[in-house]
Amino acid sequence: MRKIRPIIVPILIIVLVLLTAILLWSRVLPDLLITIRMDLGNALVILDVFFAFFWLVLALVQSRSRQDAIEGVIYEAADVKRRFLRRLDHELKNPLTAIRAGLANLAETHLEEMQRQALSSVEAQTLRLSRLSSDLRKLAELEARPLERSAVNVNEMLQEAYALAQDQPNAAYRDLKLTVPQAPWPLPTIQGDRDLLFLAVHNLLDNAIKFTQPGGTIEMRGFEDGSSLVIEVADTGQGIPEDELVHVGEELYRARGARGIPGNGLGLALVHSIINLHGGKVSVRSREGKGTVVTLKLPAIS
Amino acid sequence: MEKKPKILLVDDESAITANLAPILERAGLVVAVAGEGEEALQKASEFGPDLVILDILMPKMDGREVLRRLRRGGNWTPVILLTQVGDSVERAMALEEGADDYLNKPFDPHELVARIRAVLRRARPGQPPLATAARLVCKDLSFDRRSKRAWLSGEELTLTPKALVLLEYLLTHPDELLTRERLLDVVWGWDYPVGTRATDTRVAELRRALKDDAIKPSYIETVSGQGYRFVGEVRTQEAG
Repeated sequence: MRKIRPIIVPILIIVLVLLTAILLWSRVLPDLLITIRMDLGNALVILDVFFAFFWLVLALVQSRSRQDAIEGVIYEAADVKRRFLRRLDHELKNPLTAIRAGLANLAETHLEEMQRQALSSVEAQTLRLSRLSSDLRKLAELEARPLERSAVNVNEMLQEAYALAQDQPNAAYRDLKLTVPQAPWPLPTIQGDRDLLFLAVHNLLDNAIKFTQPGGTIEMRGFEDGSSLVIEVADTGQGIPEDELVHVGEELYRARGARGIPGNGLGLALVHSIINLHGGKVSVRSREGKGTVVTLKLPAIS
Repeated sequence: MEKKPKILLVDDESAITANLAPILERAGLVVAVAGEGEEALQKASEFGPDLVILDILMPKMDGREVLRRLRRGGNWTPVILLTQVGDSVERAMALEEGADDYLNKPFDPHELVARIRAVLRRARPGQPPLATAARLVCKDLSFDRRSKRAWLSGEELTLTPKALVLLEYLLTHPDELLTRERLLDVVWGWDYPVGTRATDTRVAELRRALKDDAIKPSYIETVSGQGYRFVGEVRTQEAG
């Protein structure tokens, strides 16, 4: 679409000019000559209407192309960012491969206790970087591949994500709840890629658990809202300051309060990406010190 | 004592070859190193390796071209590709062009050793590996590599794209324990939260299509708590 429009605009103008010329020549011009003789004022009105119409069309075409240009710039910026992330990922891979092999060699040598400790700490940090590389790849992959859609049983998917979250060691001492309706009917099915949707929900639960202190509550809810299916993950965690809310979906963004908590700022970006691919919307509401709720809204099939 | 298998390790990053070589040597392998494509081809004929580990992304001649030239010259030495871009297209291509396996960078070096062992065990010296065959046959099942279509007793199977990718990987890696993580990596190309049923549902889909019994499997066996194994004997067949 974006590529075709710049060609359409001049063609449209030429066609309009030609049409006007033909009309003027065949119809309006003889009329005009007569009316000039009869009533000069009327002719001016006809001309006025003509030009007004012409300008209106021109203005419309121009505003459309301006809007396109803005969209194009936004699209371009996102593309530049994606390319940047992909290159960053490439540049991480080779050094990480060498470091991991080097560390494996080092682990085979005789080491003092201090050295052993240093080694295991470097190993852990290397794994963390490897995870970052893997998450960057996920984001790039999502952009590149078509969705494999099938009917997804949301109820079952939420149950599974819930069970997996409960198995996490960090889930202990936090009250984890799942609410799904049974009456008047269970959750509708949605069309989508179950693996990806599962990953999105899993990431949200993971975040909620990470940012909630022991004793806190995490609730996952699924419900219907008109023709949409809504999944909410809410927590009584530390919350996100208001000025940071707009940034939390950005790649590699980490809120001030997130420093010191494991993660790389790609989890929510991935959720955004997955839900957008499914034609859905992600919104985040949060109060600092109170908690956060992330809402996924997905089109459901009736 | 058994003869030590010879490995040709090809990567343009000397930091990688220098650190990987000792690991492979400790695992009882004899290692030769090449830093670029031409050198790799030369050493492949001089050194006579039992297996080649080939980095895809190299300046001048990339790994894919090296693999193509090896195969065109009738060299059927098993190849493990080290993929970098890691996207699904590249992974599919790796298997299509006759690599026996692939590993995404960065990887756990011990995983590389495990893959080398599995590929060597499967290798049939002098014969084209399963990965290079146009068509794979196992009992009533046949799989066309180029068109990515599968038939059971002559009847075409309707499978989702991911199940097809999985089936192709299982068929080219028979008799090998494939962990859930590994299969997820095959289907998705990146690590996925483990403990999920993402692979189990695909395997169930395949079993349904193959009319396979999970208790007495003739194709896909469940290795309790670990993953799956393709148990049928796979033969190659030229596409006709």
